[in-house]
Amino acid sequence: MWLKELLKNIEKNMTKEKRLKKRHNAEKRFRFYGLASIFLALLFVLILVQNIFSKGSSAFMKTAINVDVFYDPELLGVKNGATKDEILEADFFDITIETLLKTYPTNNLDEENQLIDLFTTDAELEIKNALINNSNLLGKTVSLEITSSDDIDQLHKGNYPRDLPEERRRISNFQLSIYDNFLENKKIIKNFNNYFFKNGDSRDPEIAGIGGALVGSFYSILICLLLSFPIAVLASIYLEEFAPKNKITDFIEININNLAAVPSIVYGLLALQILLATIQLPRSTPLVAGITLALMTLPRIIIPCRASLKAVPPSIREGALAVGASKFQSVFHHVVPLALPGTLSGTIIGLAQALGETAPLILIGMVAFVVDIPSTPIDPSSSLPVQVYLWSESAERGFVEKTSATIMMLLSFLIVMNFLAVYLRQKFEKRWN
Amino acid sequence: MSDIKIKSKNLNVYYGNKQALFDVNLDLNEKEVTALIGPSGCGKSTFIRCINRMNDVIDICKVTGNIEIDGIEINSKELDVVSLRERVGMVFQKPNPFPKSIYDNISYGPKIHGKGESKNELDEIVENSLRKAALWEEVKDRLNEPGTGLSGGQQQRLCIARAISVNPEVILMDEPCSALDPIATAKIEELIDELKKTYTIVIVTHSMAQAVRVSQKTGFFHLGKLIEVGKTEKIFKNPDNKMTQDYITGRFG
Repeated sequence: MWLKELLKNIEKNMTKEKRLKKRHNAEKRFRFYGLASIFLALLFVLILVQNIFSKGSSAFMKTAINVDVFYDPELLGVKNGATKDEILEADFFDITIETLLKTYPTNNLDEENQLIDLFTTDAELEIKNALINNSNLLGKTVSLEITSSDDIDQLHKGNYPRDLPEERRRISNFQLSIYDNFLENKKIIKNFNNYFFKNGDSRDPEIAGIGGALVGSFYSILICLLLSFPIAVLASIYLEEFAPKNKITDFIEININNLAAVPSIVYGLLALQILLATIQLPRSTPLVAGITLALMTLPRIIIPCRASLKAVPPSIREGALAVGASKFQSVFHHVVPLALPGTLSGTIIGLAQALGETAPLILIGMVAFVVDIPSTPIDPSSSLPVQVYLWSESAERGFVEKTSATIMMLLSFLIVMNFLAVYLRQKFEKRWN
Repeated sequence: MSDIKIKSKNLNVYYGNKQALFDVNLDLNEKEVTALIGPSGCGKSTFIRCINRMNDVIDICKVTGNIEIDGIEINSKELDVVSLRERVGMVFQKPNPFPKSIYDNISYGPKIHGKGESKNELDEIVENSLRKAALWEEVKDRLNEPGTGLSGGQQQRLCIARAISVNPEVILMDEPCSALDPIATAKIEELIDELKKTYTIVIVTHSMAQAVRVSQKTGFFHLGKLIEVGKTEKIFKNPDNKMTQDYITGRFG
């Protein structure tokens, strides 16, 4: 009581100027808080982006070593002027060893092994492919760029400290001296890492790529879109325009909102039990991933769809009804086209969320190690976020940059999708009075 | 002098538990303008929305009693509401053109009713409707521009043209000028004068002056009841009811 009185007295005693000043100060303080929080948020985003970029950007380049290859028909076991099929049949193991050993003088088997370890395990394939692409090379010597091993790649990119004592290094002193020799002779080059986009997963970082994950994610999102978009749009049109407003509709509405808030891993468990255990769909496949993501995305699309239908003013519906349009015509001729931009952008944002979803995919087995790039949605596959998860757990140094580079790819897809959503909304949104 | 077009008998309307109209008995004459006046929330709009069953849209709305148009009951289940609205057009308080071209705004109604099979016929309907709504001269060169780009008064005339386009017998107007400036209002009133030669018009208005200018018959509503109805001249010069007297002289409302 006395406090109230005291406050009243203070207020009374304040001059008009003082009160005005107090109001201005409150406004200034609020502005400052707002700016500070925006600045803080931007700072975190900047740190995140900088971190990912500094770690990941080097993954787009790979280290290769210039090597002279003599395509000796005798070693290959084919005749001069062999056809493509004959070359495909040929064994390239011997010629690969021969070629790699020629790059540096060695004294014993151990040194030979160390020398060969500087090159990728796929060196044989690279030498073979060069000949398949151009069979004229048979019997000739050519200079090829053979991808280096992960260790040399990381060393060359400066991610690997060379001043550690030898027993704690993956690269021996002998290998270091070879590397230095190559470097001196300008044999080591950096070129664009096409493997990163083209290849599937691998145990060897230098030839591991996100090709499989890209295709897997694409199929998953495509199936998710095909399932969730029509169902969500029809459900929201029915609920918003046709359903009677009663307790059952309210109950459904509340539960849609609840479903949108269910943690994604729960959908993973659901899919595991129903899609894999009961229906026995093939595990680790984009098909199952797509269905799971569609279940998860449905409520997240229905909510913005209904909001954009609700945003169409009732006067448009009345105008259509008043000239004798049926309920169906007024909805599908007028309301739905007007709500479409909002519906589309809601869908795209829902899909963007689905694209980054990891937990349910891990549960349905997409975390399996899959080397092959899936050709259909029922082949085992990986997906971008799961690939990030897999590589972030790998011990090899080369996977660190690959993890960040995959995150960069994932983020750029998300940014493109979100921009598309904003663009569609702004381009096609019609204004009414 | 003129025949009765619309006849309401013991019309009651409920919004949930709230009763909005009480036993309204009102006859509207053919090819005449009837004005409905009364304070806000008195049931005028509810009444005219019964004539084209626009209240069907509202879930909690319940209508009892009868409305007959040309002697045919319109609240019966057998009557198709779409064909009713083809005969009874409506113009709303706020202009509500579709966010489409002027041409599409007018041609929409005829199209869904299967009128105007060919492009030429449609063109003709659009031109006639716009001419009747006194808008043709202003928009004939920009039929493909959006209807929402017109001024408020033009938009309202566009909505009138849209209502005319399906060739109705009755046009309901729910405060058609309340969102317009005096010049646009004058144009609409002129238009109403012209339209009454062809159509039966019911207009809800808050402006006493407008009721006097455009209507031949006036009904006064208060708290959901029809207090008094009669020739406009009589209502405004010599009303029978004390409440009507008070309202038109501005003592309440």
